[in-house]
Amino acid sequence: MASLAHRFSYVARSSARLCYGSAVPRAACASIVSSRRALISCSQPTRWTKAVRVCSPTPGLCRKYGDLPPLTLQNIEDRVMYVLKLYDKISPDTLQTSSHFMKDLGLDSLDQVEIIMAMEDEFGFEIPDAEAEKLMTPAEVVQYIADKKDVYD
Amino acid sequence: LGSHGSEMSVSKLPPAVLSFKQFLQRQKVLSLYRNMLRTIRQVPDDADRKYLRDWAREEFKRNKDATNQDDIRMMITQAQNHLGELRKTLALAGC
Repeated sequence: MASLAHRFSYVARSSARLCYGSAVPRAACASIVSSRRALISCSQPTRWTKAVRVCSPTPGLCRKYGDLPPLTLQNIEDRVMYVLKLYDKISPDTLQTSSHFMKDLGLDSLDQVEIIMAMEDEFGFEIPDAEAEKLMTPAEVVQYIADKKDVYD
Repeated sequence: LGSHGSEMSVSKLPPAVLSFKQFLQRQKVLSLYRNMLRTIRQVPDDADRKYLRDWAREEFKRNKDATNQDDIRMMITQAQNHLGELRKTLALAGC
């Protein structure tokens, strides 16, 4: 019995040494080891406690959310202005939140349609035609999106 | 009084304002453009999508200064045909 116990402890120790690299196999062998330990009296208790202590604080176990940061008015405005700056017919220098697409930026109604479509792409919802026609400044777009997304601060 | 009345009826509005028919046509073109872009957005292949979008943009912009109502009506019909064709193709492709 004593020799059997000795052999078991040897196997467990060598396997523990073998899979020192990653946490998962170490945890697996630790569970095997602890079940063996229940069966057989162990000759080196310090070693087992050490092995168990290494894998007990499970690292990287935290909740991860796949969502965007919450929308705020500032946040919406930044994204709207970013989309507008990427649009090739608007020069970023003249762009202000209050500038009118047609009067100040010199765009035509087709460009305005394209801008609203770009906003739909950016924020992931459809703007109905009747509403889309009325949005003529970046500030109005921001306000409209904030209303639709229930953002008030 | 008659001349005064006709002067009143000619217009108080600036000349850039569209007639009702022109206004309706303009709305039609814009909604057609929007529908076109929306449909093109469903094209799965990136390169094809970009090509079609540029094509639609170019065609609409090339003719944006047209004023003859019959010409415009013809172009609207043409665009509707293109749109129908594109939708049919997309449906066949299972998009």
